[in-house]
Amino acid sequence: MTMANSSFVYVTYIRAPQQKVWDALTKPEFQKQYWFGGHQESTWKKGAEWKMFMPQHGLTDSGEILESDPPNRVVIKWRNEFRPELKEEGYSRCTMELATENELTKLSITHTIDKENAQFIQAVSGGWPRILSSLQSFLETGTAHGDTRTVAQKAHK
Amino acid sequence: MSKFVYVTYIYTTPRKVWDAITKPEFARRYWLHYNISDWKKGSPWEHQHGDDSGKIMIDGTVLESDPPHRLVTTWTRPDKSKEPSRVTYDIAEYNTGLVCLTVTHDQLEGDEAMAASVSGGWPKVLSNLKSFLETGKSENIWLAKNKEGQ
Repeated sequence: MTMANSSFVYVTYIRAPQQKVWDALTKPEFQKQYWFGGHQESTWKKGAEWKMFMPQHGLTDSGEILESDPPNRVVIKWRNEFRPELKEEGYSRCTMELATENELTKLSITHTIDKENAQFIQAVSGGWPRILSSLQSFLETGTAHGDTRTVAQKAHK
Repeated sequence: MSKFVYVTYIYTTPRKVWDAITKPEFARRYWLHYNISDWKKGSPWEHQHGDDSGKIMIDGTVLESDPPHRLVTTWTRPDKSKEPSRVTYDIAEYNTGLVCLTVTHDQLEGDEAMAASVSGGWPKVLSNLKSFLETGKSENIWLAKNKEGQ
């Protein structure tokens, strides 16, 4: 999945209703519990601003909601704001798609940038599996991946 | 596509991940199918259908075995109609109590249909593995998308 030089794709199946997965992805009170303390601010409507904050860095990423179809699909125009080498690469596009398959919610993340071998995609390729594994644990067991601080530090190296 | 990589983090131990991959009584709970071998380097292995028909879905050879941290096998169609591909399982303790499992399925150049099949299959298997190890629960991941047929 990490093969493409400017695209990262990750699919996970979560034993939770689709609406709960959508809420976990879009509501700060849930995000803070599994996104290693981070959260996002947006109305999640098309054209709305979108911002991500991490406790140790403040504003880390920002952009705009390009498409929104709750609880099925959202597309975010997304740029890193706190690492100059990543910010320089410009805006990426992150598509989150949710679908109900029997008792499971299929969640697909596709994160692309219009640049060969982008460092930004390399960075998110490490981050997404941690975040989505933590999300799955949070929704299925009530407990996200703990020692938030240690994990978050590793995730931002 | 020549390579598929999937990383997941699971609250468990490396030994439990190793056992879940290599022992039929665990694999049938989340993979529904299971793997048979003595898991020694050079030994054959088989991926058998969970319906107990004995149907061999995939087979191959164990290329590397370092329990509970690393397992490498070839991945061959039983009719040998295509070149074999290769699967590597890397199992590492990431944090206390949290295991990072990386599955790398490569050398898929010679079998496009297999590449497409395993790209869809691994996320199902590995998400269900995580559910199984963390909650004891799992789902029939090979059911049709919607059992009501909608």
